[in-house]
Amino acid sequence: MRAVLAVLAAAAITLAGCGGKPADGCPPGQRCLRAGNVSDPGSLDPAHSFVKQDQTVLNDLIVGLTTFDARAEPIPGMAESWTVSPDGLFWRFRLRQAVWSDGHPVTAEDFLFSLRRLVDPATGAGYAVLAYPIVNAEAVNQGKLPPTALGVGAPDPMTVEIRLRHPAPYLPAVLAHYGVVPVPAHVVRKWGDAWTEPQHYVSNGPFRLVSWRLGDRIVLEKNPRFYDAANVCLDRIEYFPTTDSISAERRVKRGELDLNSAFASNRIRYLTGRGRMGDYIRMHPWTDIHYLVFKMSDPAFADVRVRQALSMSIDRAFIARKLLGADQEPADAFVPPGLGAPPAAPDWAGLPLAERQARARELLAAAGYGPGRPLRFELKHPIIAAPVPTAIQADWRAIGVQVTLTRVDTAVFFSDLQLGDFQVGITDWIADYRDPTNFLNLMRSDQAASNYSGYADPGYDRMLGEAEASADPARRAAILQAAERRLLQAAPIAPVFMNPSHNLVSPRVTGWVDNLDDVHPKRWVCVEPQTAAR
Amino acid sequence: MAGFLLRRLGVAIPTLLAVITLSFFMMHAAPGSPFASARKLPPEVERNMRARYGLDLPVGEQYLRYLGGAVRGDLGPSLKYPGKSVSKIIGQGLPTSLKLGVAALVCGTVLGVALGVAAALRRRREADHLATVAVLAGLGLPSFVTAPLLVLVFAAWLGWLPTAGLAGPESLILPVAVLTLPLLASVSRLTRAGMAEALRSNAVRTARAQGLSRTTVVLRYALPQATLPLVSILGPAAAGLLTGSLVVEQLFGLPGVGKAFVLSALQRDYTVVLGVVILYAALILVLNLLADLLYAALDPRVKLA
Repeated sequence: MRAVLAVLAAAAITLAGCGGKPADGCPPGQRCLRAGNVSDPGSLDPAHSFVKQDQTVLNDLIVGLTTFDARAEPIPGMAESWTVSPDGLFWRFRLRQAVWSDGHPVTAEDFLFSLRRLVDPATGAGYAVLAYPIVNAEAVNQGKLPPTALGVGAPDPMTVEIRLRHPAPYLPAVLAHYGVVPVPAHVVRKWGDAWTEPQHYVSNGPFRLVSWRLGDRIVLEKNPRFYDAANVCLDRIEYFPTTDSISAERRVKRGELDLNSAFASNRIRYLTGRGRMGDYIRMHPWTDIHYLVFKMSDPAFADVRVRQALSMSIDRAFIARKLLGADQEPADAFVPPGLGAPPAAPDWAGLPLAERQARARELLAAAGYGPGRPLRFELKHPIIAAPVPTAIQADWRAIGVQVTLTRVDTAVFFSDLQLGDFQVGITDWIADYRDPTNFLNLMRSDQAASNYSGYADPGYDRMLGEAEASADPARRAAILQAAERRLLQAAPIAPVFMNPSHNLVSPRVTGWVDNLDDVHPKRWVCVEPQTAAR
Repeated sequence: MAGFLLRRLGVAIPTLLAVITLSFFMMHAAPGSPFASARKLPPEVERNMRARYGLDLPVGEQYLRYLGGAVRGDLGPSLKYPGKSVSKIIGQGLPTSLKLGVAALVCGTVLGVALGVAAALRRRREADHLATVAVLAGLGLPSFVTAPLLVLVFAAWLGWLPTAGLAGPESLILPVAVLTLPLLASVSRLTRAGMAEALRSNAVRTARAQGLSRTTVVLRYALPQATLPLVSILGPAAAGLLTGSLVVEQLFGLPGVGKAFVLSALQRDYTVVLGVVILYAALILVLNLLADLLYAALDPRVKLA
């Protein structure tokens, strides 16, 4: 047996030796935030960013003409002040004295370069569409005009001028958006797409990029050159791709992480249990609407009565409150509350379920469906949508409709939606900025990219156009409300429920303010200094 | 010997080519697109993205271009992480996967052999029963069961080890344990069988008859015979362990190649998937070749022809 022991000892030494040098972590004495970010960002280049993980990190790195406060309201950023012409079409931004993290001054040239790059079709930017209110942006993005035709200008190095096609009262929020914020022109010209490598990356915000190891962590450090660095509390942030939410939950509980920006709805009962993580749970109304899409070119859904019947027969209260039950809310309207839109639910929204289902049966009968000839179709959904589709299937069974559920990979789902390879699908939308048009524009007939239903109503398009052109906020809101009613009554889509934001935040974290956009710039956040390296 | 190597190389290259070809066309035939997400890109933008990555070309031409690049060692850019190349993504993940894999390989082999020998020497006694239980557990329990169980006990209840993430050597202990179990199981089973047979062999009987000590007989005469079959399973096992385990890397939040591989497959990041497949195939070919050479070196009966 002695030989065996010797071998075991050798194995133990090998194993210990495999650990290597301790990995980088929070140095003792620093105020260091370790945050779970669900997955790696796709890109830290604003023009190639697209998802919430990008948003979280970019908000800490780069500041636009405007930026967000702790409640996600736009406040002055690189621009210290601005003026708007009375017609709302001409904006002039006065820049503050600020530098990039390499000491290079931030000038109007950076903004012209970045906005032109954003809409240049050669860039392939996902969020170019956010710049469409700017004169010629759409034409440039479609390759019909050169990028220099974009309606932006710089009369001097400290002034940026933007000309709009129509009034956009939400412009300050758009300019703070992570897809629209500037890139350092001098660095991008030098390195091209490789400028996002940590050794080249240059930012103008409260933090600068130190390292990014895919699958491991992203490390940011306080940017001493940030104009408001004196008021930034954190010295360092580490973002972890916490793809496994249960594991992330344990890491937060054990203090290995200070927060995780998600938890699954079905964990709520466990987490709120006595002695568990009740004081970590942060839920807040958000702008995430989950809705059904009916493909209108499908013969089954060409008839408005069928779509209305399907929409009105869903038990939204059950799905939101009983089935999901982590502060989800039933959604009768498409525009979430809080975006300044007056409520616009369809006329059946107030009726009890039994009455709605009775009316749905009548509508289906009028459309020629009944026990002898039941309506049959397929509801396609991404894996993450479960268990909601099953509940919808049951509601529709109650009005005599036979639905097959098909679950597919997320990548396949969206590709099918875009190619029109579906009958009914379930998807969601989160506001890019707080304005009803961010939702209502999705269903314009010329927005093939987001109007999966193929809804084409010239009346609806005209109303949105009128609202856009209007500089009078009250008139604008009234037209948008009428347009939303018209949309919901035609039912190319059926809103189902709204998701709240779900964060697990350790009580050690201060300065975290829950808000409607679930945006939390770490500039305003703090933790106690690290006692021991982790 | 040289002839053998040359012949094996002659087989390896077409094999690798076949693997690349099959994976390439299967990946491109899979439904879904790397650019599909909830927010569809305007058609002009998507066209430009496709052009940027050469996805607008006929599939045949894409294939030839890819092959040309791969031969020169250029595995192309990631489609999902703009600005990151496939070589870089693999290069960043490989050290972690290697670390885990080597540790698990060493532990699994050493412990497995020890357990197998102990079991064979004490057949139908405690050590044997212990080995049988370990084998059944190692082979029967998939890692997505053992990993959470170990985390529950050692991280959540006892609080000895971190739950996940890469932070210091202690964060590798649980993942290595999870990877070790199945290997330990198969190694100990093979060793026990081989040992039982070796102990009955003429060589061992002769050695014993000459009055050599039990330890000498076991270590010098029986063990080398008994562990020969291990060589053939260790090649593929090493390739699997070295390129990383999806389940373990995912559950423990470790930045290895296995995690990158599955994430890329789900996101249709064609180039990353292909890159990992090529790496995996090449490793298998090399390690199998090594196993054959080792076999010949260890067993005089084997001739490399």
